[in-house]
Amino acid sequence: MKRHSRKAITTASVAVLAGLAFGAQANEGILKRSANDWPSYHGDYKSWHYSDLNQINAGNVGKLTEAWSHVASRATRGLQGFPLAVDGVLYYSSPYNQVYALDGATGQMLWTYKQKLNEDLVAKQTHSPYNRGIAVGFGNVYMGTLDGKLVAIDAKTGKLNWETKLVNSEKLTVGFTGAPLLVKDKIIIGSQGGEWPWRGPIFGVDAKSGKEAWKFFVVGGNEGTASDRRDTWGGDSWKTGGGGGWMPGSYDADTDTVWWGTGNPAPLYDWAGDEWMTKGPRPGINLYTSSVILLNPDTGELKGYHQVLPHDAWDYDPASGELMLIEQGGKKYVVHPTKAGFVFVFDRTGKPVNVYKGVDNINFVQDIKPDGTLVGRRDMKEGKHGNLCPAIAGGYSWNSGAYSPKTGLLYKVGFEWCMDLEVVKTTPILEPMAQLNIGANFTFQPPKDGPARGHIRARDPVSGKVKWEMKFKVPPHGGLMATGGNLLFIPEADGWFSAVDAATGKVLWRHNNGQGHNGGTITYMAKGKQYVATVTGFGSLVGDAYGELWGEPWVSMPKDAGVLKVFALK
Amino acid sequence: MATARAADEAPAPAAPAFDVKNAFRNICGFCHEDYGRKQGKGPQLMDNPNSDDYLFNRIRNGKPGRMAAFGGAFTDDQIREIVVFIRKLKPNENP
Ligand code: HEC
Repeated sequence: MKRHSRKAITTASVAVLAGLAFGAQANEGILKRSANDWPSYHGDYKSWHYSDLNQINAGNVGKLTEAWSHVASRATRGLQGFPLAVDGVLYYSSPYNQVYALDGATGQMLWTYKQKLNEDLVAKQTHSPYNRGIAVGFGNVYMGTLDGKLVAIDAKTGKLNWETKLVNSEKLTVGFTGAPLLVKDKIIIGSQGGEWPWRGPIFGVDAKSGKEAWKFFVVGGNEGTASDRRDTWGGDSWKTGGGGGWMPGSYDADTDTVWWGTGNPAPLYDWAGDEWMTKGPRPGINLYTSSVILLNPDTGELKGYHQVLPHDAWDYDPASGELMLIEQGGKKYVVHPTKAGFVFVFDRTGKPVNVYKGVDNINFVQDIKPDGTLVGRRDMKEGKHGNLCPAIAGGYSWNSGAYSPKTGLLYKVGFEWCMDLEVVKTTPILEPMAQLNIGANFTFQPPKDGPARGHIRARDPVSGKVKWEMKFKVPPHGGLMATGGNLLFIPEADGWFSAVDAATGKVLWRHNNGQGHNGGTITYMAKGKQYVATVTGFGSLVGDAYGELWGEPWVSMPKDAGVLKVFALK
Repeated sequence: MATARAADEAPAPAAPAFDVKNAFRNICGFCHEDYGRKQGKGPQLMDNPNSDDYLFNRIRNGKPGRMAAFGGAFTDDQIREIVVFIRKLKPNENP
């Protein structure tokens, strides 16, 4: 695209792209996203959590004020999702698989959708009843449900167009909480997995008919194909290995490849300690858990992978963390911050070209080399172990970071926390079933170098060089967003919602939203005006630890309330 | 633990007798830290002021978004055994 003024580009793209996201070429709506829209969980396929919009900018953000809000019912554990915005309409999901379509300028309700759920099943789920996001395309809003379905809701009327059962949640307990990703004519969605004894697949579903097109088993790969690596699981442990892919990945259109981060193996901790190749509950490296996998979007065929943590023994699964498509100095990379607290920089074939530490307190390995090799692993045998860092909730958690092409900086919330644990020898689980399989008993602790705390570091995404840092006594757990207005938005854990100068980290605007943030922030245009939307409500498996570590206000904060808040210039 | 079973020994085919401690630390310890002797994501269970019935019902039926219902994973008798286990917890002694 030729460089006219930014405004001209925006106007031109509106004319060309209006309606694309919902049209027959829904893919194009994400690929050639109009800055006016936020058509996909991570913004678009580049997964930057960035928008070019600059009507609200570092010069005028002081005048940002609440425009409208929307209250979600039954918001147990708060709102954890990401709204989407297309052609001036805002869509978002809330716990118990409810979806809303609202006029982006006024908040006027267009429709509400409530999924009929088996409430007894939902009551049995530990990682529930939240929903972390939706996808749009082909006239539909797509959502994965707690009871293992993918549903397509008519974007105009809010009526169910079709639903496809993908997972037998009644038997396996797991379902879907993560957002689907639309790629070409497929909806791609990963099931929950991790601590649950099953094989946690990732599914490809025909976006128009709802027919299941393919599934890829994260645990062991697919039988009868080149991806079959059940040999990396001792005995029958592949049958109950965990896996899954609980957050949406990215799509590299240049190579027609879907990138997805996978969940951890079960049980999370392994009493065999450093004898894990031959002993313990899941002997071997346990492919393709705790990996980044590259899939063909049409067939689900495995095109490549990098196992971030061979035989993950710490629950630092790279299922969370954006896979950001970044170009620098004429080279193309995929940058991936992981729960382990390391940032992985891959080339576009999935080979690590750099790995750097994003947080200070890491001792589960001594280091990870730039080529991805783990050095000095801490494999913990049955028994008590002190000061494992980071804590199970991760050096980076699942709240998204952001990248701004204007500043060239990657922004991410880092967590400095550790834990003491007792690794336990579990009764082997032989059949997939409805039971957590953790393999340890633990207690969060502050790190050796100071109190439990957090920070946002703005850095060169490829080299890792830090340009500026904001320190937090209590780390934010909402998703960051960067904009063309030179702003970085930060939804904080105590209720404050801040905008800072993306180039320096200087705080420019703050507003108290009344309770903590766990979900995402987006920006979009409606009727010629720029809006910023964020969701509130606290209490997730990570958020629940806040009261224990930092006391008030998290002890008293509601764990069943959620509000969508939308802001505009006065 | 005094068990000398080799770690790589094949698991016994028959379902082993219900091992409360093992079940507790593998499933509940995630939120009830240190065997329930310390508050974590869930409350401290040692010296819990609530009645046995209350504890039983909470384990069986859970609480939405806070704790899963374990009525499907354990029988009522097993849940009663868990309640007994909770009542015996002591500050300085591993259960
Ligand atoms: C995901 C975290 C989580 C897991 C796993 C969990 N609990 Fe809980 N548990 C909680 C929370 C949170 C509460 C408080 C619920 C409330 O607000 O009443 C609780 C409450 C309880 C109570 C009532 C005590 C009180 O003071 O409210 C008992 C008893 C209990 N849990 C036992 C268990 C047992 C036994 C297991 C394992 C089978 C277990 N829990 C697994 C989070 C958990």
